[in-house]
Amino acid sequence: MSRKGVGLAAFDRSRITSAQYASHGSSLRSSDAAALETQLAVFRSLLQQFAQTHAKDIRSNPSFRAQFARMCSAIGVDPLAASSTREGGGSIWAQLLGRSVNDFYFELAVKVVEVCSETRGENGGLIEVRKVREAIMKSRMEGAPDVTEDDILRAVGTLKPLGSSYSVIKVGSKPYIRSVPKELNTDQSAVLEAVQVLGYVSVSMLMVNLKWSRPRAQTALEDLMGEGMLWVDKQCAEWEYWSPGFMLSGQDAVPLD
Amino acid sequence: MSPQPFAFPREFFFPPFFTRQTNLTTHHAQLIKWSSLILSYCRHHRIYKLSLSLSPSSSSTPDQSSPDAAQPQPGADELFHNPRIDKRLSLADIKETIDFMRKDGRAEYVAPGGAGGDVVWIYWRSPEEWAGLIEEWVDGTGQKGTVLTLYELTEGDATRGAEFHGLDPDLLQKALGILVKRGKAQIFGQEDSQGVKFF
Repeated sequence: MSRKGVGLAAFDRSRITSAQYASHGSSLRSSDAAALETQLAVFRSLLQQFAQTHAKDIRSNPSFRAQFARMCSAIGVDPLAASSTREGGGSIWAQLLGRSVNDFYFELAVKVVEVCSETRGENGGLIEVRKVREAIMKSRMEGAPDVTEDDILRAVGTLKPLGSSYSVIKVGSKPYIRSVPKELNTDQSAVLEAVQVLGYVSVSMLMVNLKWSRPRAQTALEDLMGEGMLWVDKQCAEWEYWSPGFMLSGQDAVPLD
Repeated sequence: MSPQPFAFPREFFFPPFFTRQTNLTTHHAQLIKWSSLILSYCRHHRIYKLSLSLSPSSSSTPDQSSPDAAQPQPGADELFHNPRIDKRLSLADIKETIDFMRKDGRAEYVAPGGAGGDVVWIYWRSPEEWAGLIEEWVDGTGQKGTVLTLYELTEGDATRGAEFHGLDPDLLQKALGILVKRGKAQIFGQEDSQGVKFF
């Protein structure tokens, strides 16, 4: 066996270098971690300070609350996520603000659930967020803080850990709360979107606007009727299918003149 | 009669509200909405007996030019027909709603068995509730032991302001009948000049 004169030292040298790299790397990592930790500590205290000085605004001013929540989510802090592993438990907001903001959302969530279950008979468990807000605002006492659609969406988010069937879906451009675990297929979503724009649809309207065949349009409409998400008006030349959302608002509730 | 017109709810301007919904849950929600509308409408106009039959002419040419014609008489014609969106509830659907209300104790056919046509008691206050109101009034005004004519009770000055003032005489009989059964009142006298004594 012939051996070229590289020498055993070469192995030693490479071993030493890699060890040096490793130790350098770990020292870099630890200094990075230390720096991050300080940054995080500074950030936490600043956030805390901010939240404390503005606690009143956060509680009473809906747009301020929304901005704060948006800022938190932009920097990756979920103010409502229950981080029970943390000392004391509860979310960051709960820790920072003495639970009042959290309670605000939980109470709102209860109201959302009430509105949804009250109207489930007439809308099949699908209701526009705007309508939920209207209903909640109507039942609120005078002087109670304003509630935005943003707050309602966040409140629905707080229901998630309960494994509830409440979720937010988009129909067209508008957010809806769905309180019945049921997936809409694309045809059904398309019909609801059209109803949203036009007020009502008929089989032939779907055929013309969406280029659907008659059976396809009929199936989509019948499915939605079966779910209780559309109401039919038979007192016209062709049956018209309406969204129950138009009953909660839209037409003015004025007496006949 | 109340001077101001009844403020119809939003669903009254929702066209499918006038068509019987095929989905069971939706239909149930529809029945609830109709029955609460009927009750609040009758309460507003103080209608005790509602005649369900619609006048056949009212569908043709709603005359909007003269303001007098646009103001219909309170009753089934106005309640089950919305000329603004040109929709009406069919008699069959009206009867179904009434049946729904009967199960709730909120309506009753005037002629039992449906023999006497389509006139219905609408109990925005049930006879028991009327009886309770009368009893309260008797208690509150110290009328125990006195004799009042039925006419006095609903049309006299003494009850002006009481809720049962102007109560339908037949409904008054029903309410007093309940008080008689409970041993709280006694009715005597002839058809036209009946009196009642409270205990």
